[in-house]
Amino acid sequence: MLVKVKEFETFLHNCVKDNPKEIGQVIAACQVPVNPDSRFFIDIKEGKQLCLNSYRTVEPTRLLYYFTREQVEPFNRSDKKRIIVGVKACDLSALKLLDKALLEDDFQDPSYKYWRENTILISSDCQEFSSVCHCTIFDGKPWAEDGFDVNLSKVNDSYNIITGSSKGDFFIELLKRFVNISEQSSINQEKVKIKRQDYYNKLKEKNEKYTIESYSDLRVQDIKNWNKESKKCIGCGACTNICGICYCLILNDESTDDQFIKVRSTDSCQLNGYARVAGGDTPRPQMYDRFRNRYLCKFDYVQSKFNTYGCTGCGRCIEACPAEIDIREVVKNVKVVV
Amino acid sequence: MADKNPFKTIPAKIYEIVDESPLIRTIKVKPEINFPFQTGQFAEVSVPNIGEGPFTPSSPQSFGFNLEFTIMKTGFVTEHIHKTKVGDIIGLRGPFGSRYPIDEWKGKDVLIMGGGVGMAPTRSLFLSMVDNIDDYNSITFLIAARTPADMIYKDQIQEWSKIQKVKILKAVDKVPEGEKWDGDVCLVTKLLEKVKIKPKDNPAVTCGPPIMMKFGTLELLKYGYAEENIYLSMEKKMYCGHGQCRHCVMGKYYACKDGAVFTYDKIKNEEKIWE
Repeated sequence: MLVKVKEFETFLHNCVKDNPKEIGQVIAACQVPVNPDSRFFIDIKEGKQLCLNSYRTVEPTRLLYYFTREQVEPFNRSDKKRIIVGVKACDLSALKLLDKALLEDDFQDPSYKYWRENTILISSDCQEFSSVCHCTIFDGKPWAEDGFDVNLSKVNDSYNIITGSSKGDFFIELLKRFVNISEQSSINQEKVKIKRQDYYNKLKEKNEKYTIESYSDLRVQDIKNWNKESKKCIGCGACTNICGICYCLILNDESTDDQFIKVRSTDSCQLNGYARVAGGDTPRPQMYDRFRNRYLCKFDYVQSKFNTYGCTGCGRCIEACPAEIDIREVVKNVKVVV
Repeated sequence: MADKNPFKTIPAKIYEIVDESPLIRTIKVKPEINFPFQTGQFAEVSVPNIGEGPFTPSSPQSFGFNLEFTIMKTGFVTEHIHKTKVGDIIGLRGPFGSRYPIDEWKGKDVLIMGGGVGMAPTRSLFLSMVDNIDDYNSITFLIAARTPADMIYKDQIQEWSKIQKVKILKAVDKVPEGEKWDGDVCLVTKLLEKVKIKPKDNPAVTCGPPIMMKFGTLELLKYGYAEENIYLSMEKKMYCGHGQCRHCVMGKYYACKDGAVFTYDKIKNEEKIWE
């Protein structure tokens, strides 16, 4: 299916107004004037400037499904759906892992489940990169192949649209009421393919010096190397808080006299109090220990538990680090004998 | 877990409180709906508007009309648990985690080592087995505490010694002046020398401070117990109890979900199991 970019964006801007019964909110990747190089997820009812075909947003999609702070018991629900537009392939991989951890186990996180079920997720191909993007190391691609409800690939002044679920079909039905949709030509399909391959090659070349092999066997590396690599780390926890995957939580009891209320908020293994037990003992009192734990968690513990790395190569942790620590460099250097 | 929603909290009313030692007390509660659990499993116990902590019931496994928790005052939440009164409501989530496979131990000679407040889970285990004592060949229960005043369940221990097939030995690290003591003064591992050990194919359980479990395990191995027959309770921070918060991760295991009861062979290569 083909739709004009302009018409599609107008539809998104008016979506809540035009479909008040079905749609409660539209969140899209946008560009803001004060920070033109970064993209942010914004509730677009105010008519923001969309930026769907660039690289991933500053904040991870995870935070739209697993909030920094959220009441989980009792949990209030609404019937309306929300739409998130401009999600990238790296974040779709992250959601896939979160599904395994939070839905496919013998428990289900009630609010994550609710947001997953009640969100129409629209992904779009990356046609720009950030300097820290490195999904190709993890076999990722700058476009999505599954995990979306609808995917957009921009060619000239149009979007090639494909659907990936019944929620996607529902969205197309809504779209059809307001926007003219034409069939996709095979020439167009070919253009999408060529464009994707072109961006993939560029990204791969940029990350040439890093290999997936350096991410294995981190557990057995000399502790001295970890110590050296962590010297710059100030333990602020920015890397885990901005991560597309990290889902560690704190469960607070905020009960009233009438009912038990549980609130979950995010936690970071980089903070000293993270693993502290009653009485004050902690298994990781040193910074290098906590620093190392993050790498082991992502590339060993998560890997052995879920059979996939706890990193999608979005590079947000590199961007967020005040000490300019690069996760790619650390895994490479920690294997170099000092 | 009966419910897929792990955050569901069951209110439970405190109907009795027993002070066991200066720092340890037992609270007995009646949950609003049954809270069935198997011995070794734990519950997240919450004090409203204060917080939660993981505690293994010290009462025998049951359908959960009544539960007992023996809790040491050692941090923020436990301090508030110690401030509760009869009639107060606390919250229960769970039950979570692994259990002691007591049905697989039928016909065996079971050795239990419990130290300090680690007596709580082992009391649950011991009493659950005593309920069907005919099923077991023997139960040897080695009990330790720092001082006689720190020893909990004193009166009950007297009664337990009278049960047939049960042998109980108790020891303290030291006896301060003025305190009376009728047991041994030594480490719990020393008590092993005083009992007839039958390590072959039999289970041994240790629960107590990490240092006790560490040296207890090493001693049991020396006596010839198999790694897969040594049961340990891992003490880690467990916020959620169901394998979501990741605070208790031990390699591919969660202490809360795959434990807290582990056999030694499973976790011996994981990092910092004694810390």
